[in-house]
Formats: sequence, structure tokens, C-alpha cells
Amino acid sequence: MKRNIYQPLEARVEEIIAETPTIKTFVLKPKFDFSFQTGQFIELTVPGAGEAPFTPSSDPGVKDKIDVTIMKVGRVTSYIHAIKEGMVLGIRGPFGQGYPLDKFKNKDVLIVGGGVGLAPLRSLLLSLFSDIDNYNKVVLRYGARTPVDIVYKDALPQWQKKKKVDILTTVDVGDATWKGHVGLVTTILKDLPVDLKKAVSIVCGPPIMMKFVTLKLLDLGFKPVDIYLSMEKSMSCGLGKCGHCRIGRYYACKDGPVFTFEQLKDIRDIWD
Amino acid sequence: MDTLFLKSEDFFKFLDRISLDYELYVPCKINTTAKVKCDFGFSLPAEDYFLEKYTQLNEESIIFNEYRSIEPARTYFTPCKEEVSQYFCEDKKAKERPLAVYGIKNCDIFSLKIQDWVFLGPDVVDQQYKERRQSALIISGDCTAFKEACFCRAFDINPFVEEGFDFNLSPLNNGFLVDIATQKAKDIADSIKEVFSPATAGQLSGRASKRELVVRRLEEHLAQHKIPKKETLKDIVTSGYSSKIWQEQMKTCVECGGCVFMCDTCHCFLLSDEPVGENARRLRLWDGCLFKNFTLVAGGANPLKMRYMRLRNRYLKKFDFFIDNMGIQACCGCGRCIDVCPGKIDIRYILRRLYEEKYIPAA
Repeated sequence: MKRNIYQPLEARVEEIIAETPTIKTFVLKPKFDFSFQTGQFIELTVPGAGEAPFTPSSDPGVKDKIDVTIMKVGRVTSYIHAIKEGMVLGIRGPFGQGYPLDKFKNKDVLIVGGGVGLAPLRSLLLSLFSDIDNYNKVVLRYGARTPVDIVYKDALPQWQKKKKVDILTTVDVGDATWKGHVGLVTTILKDLPVDLKKAVSIVCGPPIMMKFVTLKLLDLGFKPVDIYLSMEKSMSCGLGKCGHCRIGRYYACKDGPVFTFEQLKDIRDIWD
Repeated sequence: MDTLFLKSEDFFKFLDRISLDYELYVPCKINTTAKVKCDFGFSLPAEDYFLEKYTQLNEESIIFNEYRSIEPARTYFTPCKEEVSQYFCEDKKAKERPLAVYGIKNCDIFSLKIQDWVFLGPDVVDQQYKERRQSALIISGDCTAFKEACFCRAFDINPFVEEGFDFNLSPLNNGFLVDIATQKAKDIADSIKEVFSPATAGQLSGRASKRELVVRRLEEHLAQHKIPKKETLKDIVTSGYSSKIWQEQMKTCVECGGCVFMCDTCHCFLLSDEPVGENARRLRLWDGCLFKNFTLVAGGANPLKMRYMRLRNRYLKKFDFFIDNMGIQACCGCGRCIDVCPGKIDIRYILRRLYEEKYIPAA
């Protein structure tokens, strides 16, 4: 019997970590062999309620568990936020094209994240850290709405201590405790410690943030082929069949979710 | 390919033989209230055909459909609502009887190419579709007339079938010429040899002239509509991106989804889960890009929030995406979307306007 492409397979929720008031990380233990490449996504099923696409936030090198960081924002994510440790979810995937790590080798890797968009980037960062000798440096610029909304609060300072890593975080609106930078993430893209001649940039965040970061990066001199974007689209099947996530000649689920700006630049209204 | 002659009085022996091995669907005529909107004085037929299970019909109501049925052929391979998976357990679906569909026309055969591309590949195979499609028996037929909305010839698609079937029926005098294209059709024909006789040269040339006549009449009719050639489609829909036609034509859209659900080439669907006792099951439901939630994401962003954007998206999918990825347009000219639309939105008119806006500048 050939594999049924619509059928979810079991994964047990091992641990739930509250990141912010609206974002939780779920540590899943699949009951089957599962591996993915950083940047690929999965369809996560709440039995009987429905499924939604998420990009794992864990190191793909860790084989027996996957982390998925999820913001409570819609119907399925509300069900997911209500689940408890020990419960069983369904997984399909992995789907799509992830980050082409080979093309980042020996380069300055600039990563720009916004809000919960840091989730897939965490997976990328962990992949880069575990093989850091092959990359020139890793520069992360991360923006969140307020200090409360910053995800991976404990991990960020530890990442900063790693060799060849440079991290700067900003918030749109500060509070009494915040001593860091205030302003949109585009305001911390000045004077970047990267050599444009051998740099790539990876952007993940809300569409409006991706739009202005892309424009800024082009302004700074990044070539469209060196700007990698994670496109968020309505998806159902994850397999290029259901038709929801079309972007021009591509399907985000099959040809993406990671695209270079070169692939998208001639398609109209990509940021809507 | 063998071509045999089947006398009218033996027709039901042929169908009976097929229904022994297959779940056979056959055309019957239904009365609809739909009126022909405009036929330029051609007095075209307005009846419609519907395919029903053979076993549920009496012989009088089974006919040869002169043109395509109301429902698209994909209905038989990906029904509008069906269970596609259970959870966390072996799929235990009963084995289906193979399908035989009589009444398929060339527009449907063209469109099944699109459905095959979607569900059989390019990389991932929908097993349920594959099994159904491979085991099915396609009994196509020549169109001996056409509806007002039919426009297959505008895209160089013939109103008769030359490939993609098992049996093809061409009505002739007191019977049918039957083309036998595949081994499974040949096996069936061999098992009821007595009802067939070899086709004569006269019968074959008679069929050729009947086919020519339908093509000629259809082309005369289509000349009135001035539908652009298929080679221009990609160009006119992409360069017409900012055309006012999208907004203008969507004024009468009531978002019923008829155009996408009756479309022969549309394939979009939504996976939807529902609990069943302790367990749950997954359904595949037809979805359509004319609905406002089609591209809505959690959080509220919607790239196709206005109706005109959704209409334009549909044309870009059919004439840009599919031509880019598959090399053919996802439109067979069956005109079902025209017949079904309560808002009288007409794909022929929209394509003509897009063409004229690009190539015939206003005086």
C-alpha cells in the first residue's frame, strides 16, 4: 500500500514552553522516523479540529524531537494553545524547499527576523551554529513589537556569546525595563558588520516587515538573488495540489516557502 | 486502433456488458430552466445532460448526449466532498468498483489532462485518484451539436475525441462507430463480439463529414464571439493586470462559486477535519478562488480581499500559471462557467476585452 499523502502521523507533545503571552513552543516527539531540512515546514494537525502549516524551530540535527513555536492567532492555533503535555497531535511533512545552506557557506550570513518570524530562523541559526566553521559570520537583527513579545529570551544572550555571532535586538515600543534599541527592525540595518561582496541575507517576519526589510537590503546593495524570503500564504495540502498558495508561477508550499527575491521580484502584489 | 460498428438495438447489450465489471454512469436528459442568453440566430439546443448511475435508470431515459453534460468529468474522480484519510490507523477503505463513464466529451478529456497533472504529479501522487483513474473506463463520444456556451474550437480543441479514451462512440445512421483504443476496451469488445461488425469505408467517411460539419457550424458561431487565440492568452491576462475589466465584470458576481465548481479544469480543494467518535477523519472539499476566504491567513491578511482580485487571480491561474508550468491553458472551452453564472459573467467576453485592450487601442 502506497503512502496516503493526506494522512497525518502521530506525534506526542513532550513539553510546552511559554515564550510570550501569545507564543508557545511545543516540543513534539514523532512516533515515526522524521527528519527535515531547516526552513522546510510541516502540517500540524489537532485531531478533529484541523491542521495548519508551521516551520519547525529546532535544530534539524536533533532527530527524535522537533520544536514548533506557535503564535495564537487563528482558529487552529487557538486549539493548539489549548492542548496539554502528553496529548497527541498529527504531523504531515516535511514540505517545500528549505534554506540552501550550501549557498551560505563561507559567506557573511545576515538574518533579519520580525516577531514570531524568529521561529524558523532559530532552526536556521542552530544549524549554522553547529557547523559554524563553514560560515564567515552570523549576524542577527531581530525586531519585536514590545520587550514582552521577544521570543527565545533566554537563548538570545547565549547565542550572542558564541564566536562569529553578532546579535542586535530592537523593539517597536519599549517599556520601563528595556534598555536596548527602540525602533523598527529596518532602523538597525545600518552599519552592518557584513561584507556585501560575500554576504547573503535571510528575512522572515510579517509581510509588511519583509517588504520594507527587502527594500532596505536592496538599498544597501544586496542582490535580489542573495535575499532569501519566507513567504506566508494560506495553505491546505502542502503538496502543490490544493491551489491555495500560488505566487505567480510558483506554489509557496512546493517551490517555497523559502524564495529568493530574484524569483519573486517580477510578480505583482507579493507583499499583500 | 480498431473501429467497429454497433447497431442501435445492441447498444444496451454493450452497456450491460460494461456494467458487469464497472460502476457505469450514463447520460440522461434533464429539463432546466436555464435560457440560452444569445446565440446570434443559430437556434442552438438548450437542453442539458446529467450523468446518472446506469442501474438506477430505465432504458428509455438513457440517450446519446449530443454535447457535454452539466457536471465536469472531474466529479467522478475527485467528488466535491469525500473522506481522504483517517487518523493514526491503517486506512481501511473498502475497495471501490472501477468507474465507467459514458458521455465524456473532448473538453472533458482535455481537462482530465490538467487533473492528472495536479493529482498524479509532478512529484507527489494522490493514490486514491491514481487508482480510480487507472481503473476507470472512459467511454467518450463525438459532439453532434453544441451549446451556445461551447467554445472548444476557439482554443483548437475539437468537438470529437481522438485520444485519452477507452471507447469512443460516433453516432451514425442506425448505430455507432466504436473506436477501441486500449487493451481493456478490446477485452470487453472481444467478449461480446457478436454485437459488433467491422466498420466500412463508407461509414468512416460518413463520420468524417459529420465531424467536419459540426466543426464548421461551431466555428461560424464562435466567429461572432471573437475569442482570442490560445497563443495570446498568457500575454493578454498578464498585461491586462490593471485593466478595469475585472472590477467591471465582478459587479454582478454573487460569490456562489458556480464557475469554479462547474469548471472542468479547476482542482482547488480544502482539507477539513471532523471528529468521528473517539477518532477523526479528514475530508477533501472542493474549494474555489472566487471565495473571499480562499487566501485568508490566520491573523487576517488576505492577498485577494477584493472580488476583482479573485476574478483576476482565476484567469492568471488558468492562463499564466498553467501555461508556464504545464504548457497548456487550464480552460477547455466547455462553457460550463458561462451557463452556471447567475451574474452573466462570460469568460469569452472577458478574454475578448483583454485582447482588444492590448491590441486594438481606443480610437
